[in-house]
Amino acid sequence: MGTGKRKKSDGREVEAASAAAERGGGGGEGVKEKKRRTLPSMIKNKEKRSAVHAELKREKRIEKRKKAKAQEAALQRAIELGEEPPLKKVPRTIENTREPDETVCKPDDEELFAGNDADEFCEVLKQDVSPKILITTCRFNSTRGPAFIEELLSVIPNAHYYKRGTYELKKIIEYAKNKDFTSIIVVHTNRREPDALLIINLPDGPTAHFKLSNVVLRKDIKNHGRPTSHMPELVLNNFTTRLGHRIGRMVQSLFPHDPNFRGRRVVTFHNQRDFIFFRHHRYIFETKEKKVDPKDKAAKGAKEKNASQQKVIARLQECGPRFTMKLISLQHGTFDTKGGEFEWVHKPEMDTSRRRFFL
Amino acid sequence: MPRTSTLECPGCPPLRVLTTDVLGLVKVLEARGKVGTPKVVETWGPPDASRGVLAASYADRNIDPLLAIARKDGLVEFLNPLNGDALAATKVDESDSLNGALKDDHIVGLHLFRTKKIELSSRLAAFLTCTEKGKACLSYVALRDAPADLHTDSPSSWNICTSGKVTCSSVDNTENYALFGGKGIEVNLWDLTNCSKIWTAKSPPANSLGIFTPTWFTAATFLSKEDHRKIVAGTASHQVRLYDISAQRRPVISVSFRESPIKAVTEDLDGYTIYIGTGSGDLASFDMRTGKLLGCYVGKCCGSIRSIARHQELPVIASCGLDSYVRFWDAKTRQLLSAVFLKQHLTNVVIDSHFSGEESEGNHVSQPSDLELVSQTEVQDDEELQISKGSKTSKKQEKSKTKANKNRNKVQDDDPTSVLVSLSNVEPEASGELPASKRRKSSEEESRRLKKKKSKKSL
Repeated sequence: MGTGKRKKSDGREVEAASAAAERGGGGGEGVKEKKRRTLPSMIKNKEKRSAVHAELKREKRIEKRKKAKAQEAALQRAIELGEEPPLKKVPRTIENTREPDETVCKPDDEELFAGNDADEFCEVLKQDVSPKILITTCRFNSTRGPAFIEELLSVIPNAHYYKRGTYELKKIIEYAKNKDFTSIIVVHTNRREPDALLIINLPDGPTAHFKLSNVVLRKDIKNHGRPTSHMPELVLNNFTTRLGHRIGRMVQSLFPHDPNFRGRRVVTFHNQRDFIFFRHHRYIFETKEKKVDPKDKAAKGAKEKNASQQKVIARLQECGPRFTMKLISLQHGTFDTKGGEFEWVHKPEMDTSRRRFFL
Repeated sequence: MPRTSTLECPGCPPLRVLTTDVLGLVKVLEARGKVGTPKVVETWGPPDASRGVLAASYADRNIDPLLAIARKDGLVEFLNPLNGDALAATKVDESDSLNGALKDDHIVGLHLFRTKKIELSSRLAAFLTCTEKGKACLSYVALRDAPADLHTDSPSSWNICTSGKVTCSSVDNTENYALFGGKGIEVNLWDLTNCSKIWTAKSPPANSLGIFTPTWFTAATFLSKEDHRKIVAGTASHQVRLYDISAQRRPVISVSFRESPIKAVTEDLDGYTIYIGTGSGDLASFDMRTGKLLGCYVGKCCGSIRSIARHQELPVIASCGLDSYVRFWDAKTRQLLSAVFLKQHLTNVVIDSHFSGEESEGNHVSQPSDLELVSQTEVQDDEELQISKGSKTSKKQEKSKTKANKNRNKVQDDDPTSVLVSLSNVEPEASGELPASKRRKSSEEESRRLKKKKSKKSL
């Protein structure tokens, strides 16, 4: 009985609300009405619910358009009057509201530089040793794994693929040390899909374990380019904290430190919310005749004559692969699961906030 | 609206902590006030990776505290922990490290003797070092302001083992016995008076599948202060073992903890609790009478724990490790009190337990704590009884703290007037059987301390 009554009253309210909506979207009265309005999700009759919902949606759209128009008008007016245009609002994202972190590197930190001079990568980064990379796989490996490795070989100069065979990883590390390799990359595949990347710096660590996702190979990228064998340029973005700095240096030590700018080939590791995005591009700078509108032509015809309206634009062509890495652990020393010490491991208790990032 | 959920850290009682790191820096942290946040107040030494600190030992005394640090280049340095002055430096095993093969033989264990083998009021420091390859060396070094005619005994050195790699060593509270253990080396106990091995552990039998886990000790300590017969050791196969040398050669209790190697083991003052730290950053406490896990210390600790230190009076422990944080925990409630980021991989942490927060304001105790003393004098007697029971609450902690301050201040008052008197005060302590045990909270010690106080007053 009670429920029936409730329903009835609900229906009446809805009627009132829709009536109010019909009266007009704007105005103070409308705003007042809005607060009293029942949510469409509370209506039990489906037909009514969808109708109210559609109405609500329409209203919102109108509101939004109105707002955008007002903003545009304000901007126009400011330009006409020669005033400062109203400040563009910066949307609040979870990155720019990141929790303050004391481990973020400061540019004037003496200790940081001293630490950099002493760490395991400094030999390679000071160009005393040129990087030499050994790429291998997990024991069971098929289809996408080798294809991925083939593309990695084209990305990383001086990388050599070795079949895994049945060797233990520790034996492989010993072998690579004797052969003067500077890093080992192990591509782990699960269900014929590469899903983890292990980067071991030689001779004495550290070892980083990454989760690998969203792997897109070159042939699946539309309009992909073919990379040349020039030394690539390297872009490392947003590695801010001490840990991120270390990971950044580790990645840096995989690539030779002398890019060949003629190759116009760039490899990017972009960190965003602890996910490291890998991209590989070719770029070109083109000078293009600027398209000039016929109206403008009349206005500033004199200007056009003396300087040919040229504009340099950079065009990008992706040449794959494309993947995302997420750090799982950073181990002190080379690969050792039993007796190893971790410099950083991800633990569930660290995830207390969406706005805390470690890299 | 950004939703932030920063962990509320309640802050520490006043304490002073020294940490050492892989760049060879010694950093001093101090927390002042009732609930202060520790801050780095001093950094000693230039950053240099070849002089990274491997081991540190602290003689936690009221007068003339001393800090010894062993560096990567084989140098053992002695510092004044109050102002960072280098008092002495010595090279261990110069004769052996000449040929290149022994160059990589790093020092892994260092112990600075607090009471024994120190003549002439600590102008001479005795220390025990132990290298990775098993060379133990008991030697003496004259500090900088020592008299010239001071004769130093010739260092005695011996070999612990022929193969394997020593990773841990410890000296018991009476400083008569030392234990060593490592990769391929069972825990063994040595009598330091005549440098002889008195006991070796035996590895546990193979399990039901016939699988034998190789010996690999990563941390070891003596369980209680009075007793050198009980040893707690942590292994790389994530086991905590209790050995009783009077009972058997195999472990009495062996418990497994999680899945990463135990990297640090530290005993509590009560003689049965131990704190362990693992290679993946888990910190926990065990009751070694039963082998039960008391609880874990949870607080976003994400790097291997290298060292744990227990405060001698307050229930505070400090841990440090590869995540470059020093963390302070309440030992009883297992709550994180504070965490300080120190930028480098830390190797050791030691606590100066004779630090009182008011030191900087002068030798006298500041006003508020005086008032406190007045207000608490009435309950002092009851308090003493409760302390002897061994139960502690936060209120009592404060009490003992202020008492410690009082003691320290008293000594400082004594100091300038006549050094000789203070020395004569100290010497009977040193000749006593359990010199450092005066800091213990057991009832006997408490009464003994009171007596001592009285005798001091009579002097």
